[in-house]
Amino acid sequence: MNRCTWLRPCLLTAFVLVLVCGLPAWAHGQNSTASAQAAPAPPSPAPALDAPLDLKSANAPSTADLAAGDPSGTKTGTVNDIAVSDSKKGLTLADVINEVGQNRIAVNFTWTLVAGFLVMFMQAGFALVETGLCRAKNANHTMMMNFMVYGFGLFAFWVCGFALQMGGAAGASTLGGANPLSNEFAIHFLGKDWGLFGTKGFFLAGPTYDVGVMVLFLFEMVFMDTALTIVTGGAAERWKYTAFCVSSVFMGAITYPIYGNWAWGGGWLSKLGANYGLGAGYADFAGSGVVHAVGGLTALAVSMIIGPRIGKYNRDGSANAIPGHDIVIVLTGCFILAFGWFGFNPGSTLGASGALRISTIAVDTMLAGCTGSFGAILYMWMRYGKPDASMSGNGLLAGLVAITAPSGYVNTMGAAIIGFVAGVLVCLSVEYIDRVMRVDDPVGAISVHGTCGLWGVISVGLFADGTNAVKGLFYGDPSQLVAQLIGVGTLLGFVFTLSYVANYVIDVVVGQRVPASDELEGLDIPEMGALGYPEFVLKPQPIPSGAVAAD
Amino acid sequence: MKIVGILLAVVGWMLPLVGLSMTSSMGARFVLCFLGIGITLTGIIGVLNKAHLKNAPWKR
Repeated sequence: MNRCTWLRPCLLTAFVLVLVCGLPAWAHGQNSTASAQAAPAPPSPAPALDAPLDLKSANAPSTADLAAGDPSGTKTGTVNDIAVSDSKKGLTLADVINEVGQNRIAVNFTWTLVAGFLVMFMQAGFALVETGLCRAKNANHTMMMNFMVYGFGLFAFWVCGFALQMGGAAGASTLGGANPLSNEFAIHFLGKDWGLFGTKGFFLAGPTYDVGVMVLFLFEMVFMDTALTIVTGGAAERWKYTAFCVSSVFMGAITYPIYGNWAWGGGWLSKLGANYGLGAGYADFAGSGVVHAVGGLTALAVSMIIGPRIGKYNRDGSANAIPGHDIVIVLTGCFILAFGWFGFNPGSTLGASGALRISTIAVDTMLAGCTGSFGAILYMWMRYGKPDASMSGNGLLAGLVAITAPSGYVNTMGAAIIGFVAGVLVCLSVEYIDRVMRVDDPVGAISVHGTCGLWGVISVGLFADGTNAVKGLFYGDPSQLVAQLIGVGTLLGFVFTLSYVANYVIDVVVGQRVPASDELEGLDIPEMGALGYPEFVLKPQPIPSGAVAAD
Repeated sequence: MKIVGILLAVVGWMLPLVGLSMTSSMGARFVLCFLGIGITLTGIIGVLNKAHLKNAPWKR
């Protein structure tokens, strides 16, 4: 074989080898070059917030479409409904973003206001419960106390109560910030700042003439009024109307707002967590302490000063039952209160957007009321052989009062237990206050609101399960219970004392109690000038033998 | 005696507050809280209320 014969196959083999190995290498090199060229593609510029948007794909309905009607609702609520800030430019991204913010706040405003309206309606419930548990000869007077406490309290709160309570409470982000409420008076004591009261918002004037502040005012005001109306029940059937007026104004202007500031307005109780490592600080979601215990303890102070009704106690100290005149309106009033409590507790989120826990809070509220009535009815049935209607109603209220503070922090099991304990506790408390302390409370206000309000405050420190940043003893944080106990001590040591001293002064200056002759006749004519039931003939009620009339 | 009752109520309130700065032990704080509430209740029920009952109208 000559040289040409083997050279040709070698060259061909070499060519094939170059092709097989070189092509991929060449291709890889091409890809690398391409990748290097494609890698950092410059980011497309973000759309300018004020550039007009292309609305073609929004498929806005035409005028003709809208004129034809919209039975399915698909053409109502579209891009056409978004507010445009500059009609020449048209709809921009900034317009859409602002609309989202407005809608969020509008949802929260609506929810909080409607919840506040429900709480306002609870005034009717309290009026019915108290009037039904009193005698018919005092119906007009009892109703009028519950009716006018709304006006007196609202006026006092508008003048100065709201400013003292919430004047430094800026930061309600669900309501747009309420930023004008920006000044809390604090003292430096024991190395820490102790917020005592707010100083912005008197008469809702100046910068506090603000839509967010108005929502907060309405909601806080109806809570304040609940506290005031509790006192009228404890002192019913012998409280002078003028003394009631002065006492209510003082409570709405000073007593309630001060404690409310300490708990809800940025005051020292709420800062126990930050200052002393006590859990999340004093936690009272909707006011077992701020509203109910304040009302109940003030009722205790007034009842002690005013003394018992004529015929309530015998000379040997034994108590006589003085039944109310209309159990029908008592239990109707209890239902109205239970309905209004759906505004009291779930409304305390101050919003629905981003606060979907309102469903859990509402169910916790229902359950506690239910088990409260169970606890009371079982206790009375076992002890006295019959299910007592008025105590069953008080048991429902006791459960609702007790769940008010923990409603934002507990699960349904905790709510049921809290309510049941409150139902039994209210019966025991009524007996103790009536027979051992010998303080006359015609409607059980001290027990329902005072005793069960304190139980509600303590139960936060026990049953809070941590889902809303508050954790109690049973879930691993004992320090929260310490904060709650300090709140209890403050209610007993400060609120009761302030109420007692203020009403003692009112007793000296104005006189708290009506004359004995007026009390025996019934307060309707002497105090109000008209009977509550003018067409009924009221039979005179004999004083039980052994009972003693007041002077 | 009513003034004594009121003073006891206030002292019972202040006791755990002052104690917060004196100790960081949770057990000690619990003790101070219960002690304070006990003193307050003694002042209200044991002293103040008893003073009212001494001159109760149904005793005359």
